[in-house]
Amino acid sequence: MTPLQRLTATARALLPEDGVITDLARLRTYECDGLAHYRVTPALVVIPETAEQLAEIVRCCAEEQIPYVARGSGTGLSGGSLPHAEGVLVVTSRLRAIKEVRREDQRAVVEPGVINLDVTRAATPEGYYYAPDPSSQQICSIGGNVAENSGGAHCLKYGFTTNHVLGAEFVTAAGDRVRLGGDAPDSPGYDLLGAVVGSEGTLGIVTEVTVRLVRLPEKVVTLLVGFDSTDRAGAAVSAIIAAGIVPAAIEMMDALAIEAAEAAVSCNYPDGAGAVLVIELDGPAAEVDAEYADVVRFCEETGAFEIRTAKTPEERFLIWKGRKSAFAAVGRISPDYIVQDGVIPRTALPEVLRAITELSERSGVRVANVFHAGDGNLHPLVLFDDAVPGAGDAAEEVSRGILDLCLQHGGSITGEHGVGADKAGHMPKMHAADDLDTMQLVRCAFDPDRISNPGKIFPTPRLCGERPGRRQGAHPLQQAGIAEVF
Amino acid sequence: MSDSLAGRAASEASVSRPTRSISGVTPGRVEHPTSTAEVAEIMRAAAAAGESVVPTGAGTKLDWGSPPASADILLDLSALDQVSEHASGDLIATAGAGTPLAQLKEHVAAADQRLALDEVVPGTTVGGALATNTSGPLRMLAGTMRDLLIGVTMVRADGVVAKAGGKVVKNVAGYDVGKLLVGSYGTLAVVTEATFRLHPVPQSRRWVSVAARDSAHAAGLTQAVLHSQTVPSALEVDASAGGVRVDVLVEGRPEGVVGRAAVLSALLPGAETSAEPPAGWGRYPWNDTADSHLGIKVTFRLSGLADVLEAAGELGLRGSAGVGVAYVAVPAEREITEIRAILARLRETTGRHGGSAVVLDAPPALEQQLDLWGPVPALGLMRRVKHEFDPDHRLSPGRFVGGI
Amino acid sequence: MTDIDIRNLGAFDEEHPPDQQLLDDCVHCGFCLPTCPTYLLWGEEMDSPRGRLYLMKEGLEGDPMSDSMVQHWDNCLGCMSCVTACPSGVRYDTLIEQTRAQVERNHVRTPKEKALRSLIFAIFPHPKRLRAMRGPLRLLQRTGLDRRLRSTGLLDRMAPHLAAMERLTPTITSAEPLPARVPATGERRAVVGMLTGCVQGAFFPGVNAATARVLAAEGCDVVIPRDQGCCGALSVHNGREQEAQAYARRIIDAFEDAGVEHIVINAAGCGSTLKDYARLLADDPAYAAKAADFESRVRDIAEILDELGPVAERHPLDLTIAYHDACHLAHAQGVRAQPRALLKGIPGIELREIAEGEICCGSAGIYNILNPEPARELGERKARNIVATGAEVLVTANPGCLLQVASAITAQGHQLGMAHLIEVLDASISGSSPEVLRSRTL
Repeated sequence: MTPLQRLTATARALLPEDGVITDLARLRTYECDGLAHYRVTPALVVIPETAEQLAEIVRCCAEEQIPYVARGSGTGLSGGSLPHAEGVLVVTSRLRAIKEVRREDQRAVVEPGVINLDVTRAATPEGYYYAPDPSSQQICSIGGNVAENSGGAHCLKYGFTTNHVLGAEFVTAAGDRVRLGGDAPDSPGYDLLGAVVGSEGTLGIVTEVTVRLVRLPEKVVTLLVGFDSTDRAGAAVSAIIAAGIVPAAIEMMDALAIEAAEAAVSCNYPDGAGAVLVIELDGPAAEVDAEYADVVRFCEETGAFEIRTAKTPEERFLIWKGRKSAFAAVGRISPDYIVQDGVIPRTALPEVLRAITELSERSGVRVANVFHAGDGNLHPLVLFDDAVPGAGDAAEEVSRGILDLCLQHGGSITGEHGVGADKAGHMPKMHAADDLDTMQLVRCAFDPDRISNPGKIFPTPRLCGERPGRRQGAHPLQQAGIAEVF
Repeated sequence: MSDSLAGRAASEASVSRPTRSISGVTPGRVEHPTSTAEVAEIMRAAAAAGESVVPTGAGTKLDWGSPPASADILLDLSALDQVSEHASGDLIATAGAGTPLAQLKEHVAAADQRLALDEVVPGTTVGGALATNTSGPLRMLAGTMRDLLIGVTMVRADGVVAKAGGKVVKNVAGYDVGKLLVGSYGTLAVVTEATFRLHPVPQSRRWVSVAARDSAHAAGLTQAVLHSQTVPSALEVDASAGGVRVDVLVEGRPEGVVGRAAVLSALLPGAETSAEPPAGWGRYPWNDTADSHLGIKVTFRLSGLADVLEAAGELGLRGSAGVGVAYVAVPAEREITEIRAILARLRETTGRHGGSAVVLDAPPALEQQLDLWGPVPALGLMRRVKHEFDPDHRLSPGRFVGGI
Repeated sequence: MTDIDIRNLGAFDEEHPPDQQLLDDCVHCGFCLPTCPTYLLWGEEMDSPRGRLYLMKEGLEGDPMSDSMVQHWDNCLGCMSCVTACPSGVRYDTLIEQTRAQVERNHVRTPKEKALRSLIFAIFPHPKRLRAMRGPLRLLQRTGLDRRLRSTGLLDRMAPHLAAMERLTPTITSAEPLPARVPATGERRAVVGMLTGCVQGAFFPGVNAATARVLAAEGCDVVIPRDQGCCGALSVHNGREQEAQAYARRIIDAFEDAGVEHIVINAAGCGSTLKDYARLLADDPAYAAKAADFESRVRDIAEILDELGPVAERHPLDLTIAYHDACHLAHAQGVRAQPRALLKGIPGIELREIAEGEICCGSAGIYNILNPEPARELGERKARNIVATGAEVLVTANPGCLLQVASAITAQGHQLGMAHLIEVLDASISGSSPEVLRSRTL
């Protein structure tokens, strides 16, 4: 038997019949995640129903030296759960129990396949919610959020997944189940959980996650503000931040993005706007009221031509629907597009937006801009028609050019979508060789055989144990019996 | 770096004879680098010579952690004391590891901004706070070092200079190595510079304080505040011989703060409102500079507060009831058996409530006789991390959990 | 090599394969997954809309039509919840129907599957045969089909339904057929034709009578042509395209000379098919134009009443109501607001929303007979959510949903009034006691 056959046999013994997928037509439905232009058909797909089963599969992978890739809902936008052709795809969609919601501790304990929004749904009757809200929150899984350190529109005020995950049960690349962090903060020892969150499945798989729940705010005010240009909208953002206001969210969309959202969900954004801001204020009513007055004044002073405040939950929903559907909605105005994700210092926003416009005009490639303006996280949507020869390449070039702009301004090549398969090649532009080498130390500690989601994040990982200039031989203390090397 | 440059760097870093000990261990010599490059040079030389290195800043917490197995070099980073960048529009600041935390806070305050991290140990440096992961009442609002640190420059055990993170708050490009360094007691790498996210200084603040009848009452009051709509920046409990007090800090716009303080007063009958912090706010309940006490950090689920207060008993405790972290002082003159019993009691109670009890600070003689850390999950993985970063175990050897 | 050669290697023949351009609209975002009942149940990509589209794509790319592909397409309830959820506007409804027609032509089913499907299509689309089934066990025994059914494990599924139907409609054996024309009460505001449906007509004739009464009360002359037959919904949802086309022509003919402005339907499943006649008959030169005209005049009962606006007085009904969105009304036709508005227009009614309202109850035409296990799970899930509202009466606009949910609610040991939307309006306009609705369990 080949190693894969042995793994398949193990999986069949462990899982119900429909939990082991070997049929080609079925396997192919798993060949891509939310970034559909990277495709690899996995050799095997398993859908475990318990953490024990998942750990057993990973243990078998370790024994057989078969690479594995974890996948939640398959909505990632960097190809982070792109399968490995000789490997197994471990799907967590059946690990979807919300095990506990504890109001008195402000915690929920969930399995990795639980949908982000379902955590909030479960906590809402208790007056709580789960704060990180990526645009895909209605379908993305908590396990995927942990892997990608997902953000969302409200992370400006509330932080990212890493700020809301307190503990996890974690299956190491050897198939061992260990506890990281816990119910209480500041678990003694290294903050391994801090390293695992955002590691894109390259260090292991979480099988249970303890998250912090946040009290539902007393008051939420959502504004939709129309400007004739992104410059003016940007000026409003600067004025708000400079005044010491930290809104729950400040989102910007430019004219092209508005057009797409309008076509998709009829969100009724202001007519003829060159840019809109979606601004949300939340908190104690008295605070929100005071901030609201200031925000309206700043918007007026910077030239807003329409300021609309949601009066009902339905109106609020519609404002957000336009924003949250923006990516997929671009499909309505362009046959093909690339969703880019880059970060710049917020103050560089006007300059970078102008440079993107220039890049777009020079190349003739249209770019729609959607972004989290409060923290400088850009999501330019580069539009093209794959049926036109060369259009895809031109779009790729513009897309790369935008990342270069981010780096020139001291930013990042990804703010929330992750590096995945897509941007591994960009990592050396952002990080020096020694920085990447340091990350590899973490990788080698967790997964020395590099079987956990190989080929992601890092362009050319070195072999673990390959250490340039590493001193050989035992340490004098060790020789003297004073210290022990663990 | 070329040899000539390296030579110059080394010559500029001064060396002195030790005047301080690390938990009772006297280092071989003290190096005083003035730049990351000099730190790298020292670390390369130490690697070549197989020397052990213990980094330090102001030395306020040199007695924290277990005594090092070896300390050939005490690496004094206090000359790396510059706030190199404060981009107020982007709400970030970068400072050298040796920069006093107070100095960084003062610097950014000029722009009505703050690093929302309390200086719980007076005089501590940026690097010291990072290495020991100290925090105070404001952690309820803004989290701890791990939540505020967005970029770090480190020198590895092999002398390689590496950066992690960056200068933007939102960034998921690669592993968050900075988080591993937070609270690592200098056992993984030498941090030379750190970049933080800042918060705007609130226009107004009020403390609402109330005396509780007993542990259960304090826990009940705490729960009431937690589930209220007052969004406190801090929710503290202070139990001492004088009784149990619950202190709540609200911050924001003047209009909002007045209203929220009023709501709190209604929730906490008999509470008093003040524009000034109560006594002991943001300080450990022990004297940092004297060897008179053991300082124990306890963590627990929010619902475990009453039990933890009971377990601390007459010793009292002070800390962040709103996040489940508190500190207990034990007089060092107590019998070792009694100290062990106290520690066991605290570990049993906090363990039941999902937390831990760690001895932060103790007279060196006592540190040798106690299990400072208690049970540590995933220790095997931690050892592997240590081994990758410092295969020869020369960085602060033995100061951390499990003998790391 | 030409495109045609490549395609012949794939899963589909040349006659309307799943439209490549429509497939290309899918950007693989996954927003459809949480709205898909089978994905909720099984958590498998292949049993999500995104996965089923991917299987179509595989078929177009040259992969042969495998049993596994067919199984996952068959598993689709056709609830079209995904169509509502899709931000990219993918026409999954069109694509799955194109695919199902291909499956019926190009996939060989097992004898067991064939027999079951034949039985269903020999009964359901035929109002007369369905009426005869009001004594269902008798029918089954007489035709000797009960053993056949039992061997497929399905009698257990059908029998409680059928028994329930009998309990619900004890008087229908003597129900008078509706007259060919019901005149408007008061001033005439419109002339409308009424489709009586198969299941609706057979098992819920009270609903049709109520529909006619309410329309008349709201100022409509109601024309009810004889020999309407089936609208073809079941056939179209199960890939029996030619059969569906024949039904559609007959319906169009039946209403052609009726002189009605609108054709009104009170069953959601039929309505969505009637509104798709233009596509169904697009290739028929004799009927294409007629079908398009017909389609433009079709209205669900809630739509027409909402368009007309109320004139008849609403008497108070002191009731808490949970309104269940029938998939073929909410997702396929986008009719969500109107039924709620009509209910809220009745004094005394408190309307409660059902959690996971967008998720199918598992009825889905004949899905609950073909795929009893997932249908049962979905029914139970829906029943739990309905019971959790604490409402006294469950209201919906589709007969299949009522049948499906009723059995699940009863099985969970709860009692709930059940009514079609129009029966509530009828009760209000006629001034009946709310007790009638409250006590009307299936």
